[in-house]
Amino acid sequence: MTSAHAHPTGTGPGFSALVAAAASSVAVVCYLLAAARLRRRGDAWPPLRDVCFATGGAALAAAAVVTPPGGPFTVHMARHLVVGMAAPLLLVLARPLTLALRALRPGRVRRALAATGRSRPAAWLLFPPTAAVLDVGGLWLLYRTPLWSVSHERPLLQAAVHFHVLAAGLLFAFAVCAVDPVRHRWGLPWRGAALLGAGAAHAVLAKSLYAAPPAGTAFAPDDRRAGALLMYYGGDAVELALAAVLAVGWYAAGGRAPARGGRSRSTARRPRLRPGPHPRPGPRPSGFGTTVRAIGGYPQDTTREGVTQRSAEQKR
Amino acid sequence: MSDPVRRPAVPPPSEAEPRPRRSLGVCALIGAAVMAAVDEIVFHQLLNWHHFYDRSTPSVGLLSDGLLHTAELLALVAGFTLWADLRRRGALSPSHARAGLFLGAGGFQLFDGIVDHKLLRTHQIRYGVDLLPYDLAWNAAGVVLLGVGAALAVRAGQNGRGDRSVGRGPEPSR
Repeated sequence: MTSAHAHPTGTGPGFSALVAAAASSVAVVCYLLAAARLRRRGDAWPPLRDVCFATGGAALAAAAVVTPPGGPFTVHMARHLVVGMAAPLLLVLARPLTLALRALRPGRVRRALAATGRSRPAAWLLFPPTAAVLDVGGLWLLYRTPLWSVSHERPLLQAAVHFHVLAAGLLFAFAVCAVDPVRHRWGLPWRGAALLGAGAAHAVLAKSLYAAPPAGTAFAPDDRRAGALLMYYGGDAVELALAAVLAVGWYAAGGRAPARGGRSRSTARRPRLRPGPHPRPGPRPSGFGTTVRAIGGYPQDTTREGVTQRSAEQKR
Repeated sequence: MSDPVRRPAVPPPSEAEPRPRRSLGVCALIGAAVMAAVDEIVFHQLLNWHHFYDRSTPSVGLLSDGLLHTAELLALVAGFTLWADLRRRGALSPSHARAGLFLGAGGFQLFDGIVDHKLLRTHQIRYGVDLLPYDLAWNAAGVVLLGVGAALAVRAGQNGRGDRSVGRGPEPSR
């Protein structure tokens, strides 16, 4: 499992790979502990999210220490798919920020976390086109400049590249899915357009890799083509999953709007039955009531943050 | 999803009213996406007639192809979601939906045959053979699909008018 590892120096899974595997394992354990804490005090937290996070973390750890079969470029691309696309999507779908905000006791740490999520830089970083450029633009830099061949001689740079792939993947999935509470959640058109642009740039890059290798590398043509195909179709699979997340979110929101007494866009053009001012969602009788009750049930959550946090979740 | 009250609810059926234009548009989106997927799966991957990457075409051809491929995937997801939403609201007009499906499929086929194959020349249908019969068959298929769609749309429109001249019953037919 180690001889064909991508790191040119050393024979086993390198030190950084072991650190990465350990870090993702620790993250999974923390997540599961926090979810267990929520459930102990009576909050609902769907088990599916635990499964998502654990799968994502396990995939990251596996990508760091296990070498899949295939030529070196195919192996690299398989890792790239797991670290940059599949694992970030799974981790983001598990709503780690929501869990942290709810599991932490009110205090400095939670305040800092909430403030970070609502800060202006975070809002701009999570602007979907920005996240898409950081994510796919990084790949273009890696494969279409000498960065790839340079990083192969410098383990530290290579570790930084891997970290960037993971971080940018997380950022992009976070911005497109928009399931966690942050300052500004961009609307469906922005997120859909970013997904379209990033998907197209990814597909074009995969095709160009099929035709021509990255600068300064010499892979067997069969290996390179297999890797490019993997990138192309793997990218499709993750893109479909992201699109499904957007679509399901839209569909569920469309079902909730009429239930709240609000008007969805598709019914807004018909003449209104009730006279009234601007068609706003209104006081949301059922949802608001449960918020108050839920907060009443947990005395440790009666801070202002607890209230805003819960009502932010209620809006989803 | 943390509260038990928030199950997606459907608007009461009394509000439901077929929305022909939207039905047609949504199904045209699905039709175009399905036709793009058929092209990709049958001709690119099963028959290997034209391929993943054919030749070093101008980069605009490559870009258009990647954009088309991604848009096709997103359109499939978006189209079926919008269709499910129309059904849920009881607003789907099946005759318009059928017309839209054919119009979308034919429109895409013709677009691919003329713009991708002939204008941008990203790929041809087949290589090493006389292209004319293939091009004719390809574009004729597109024209036929478009024609069927147009006929269905005209008929659906007439039926819609007929319904209204009879008078608007309390239960719009679905």
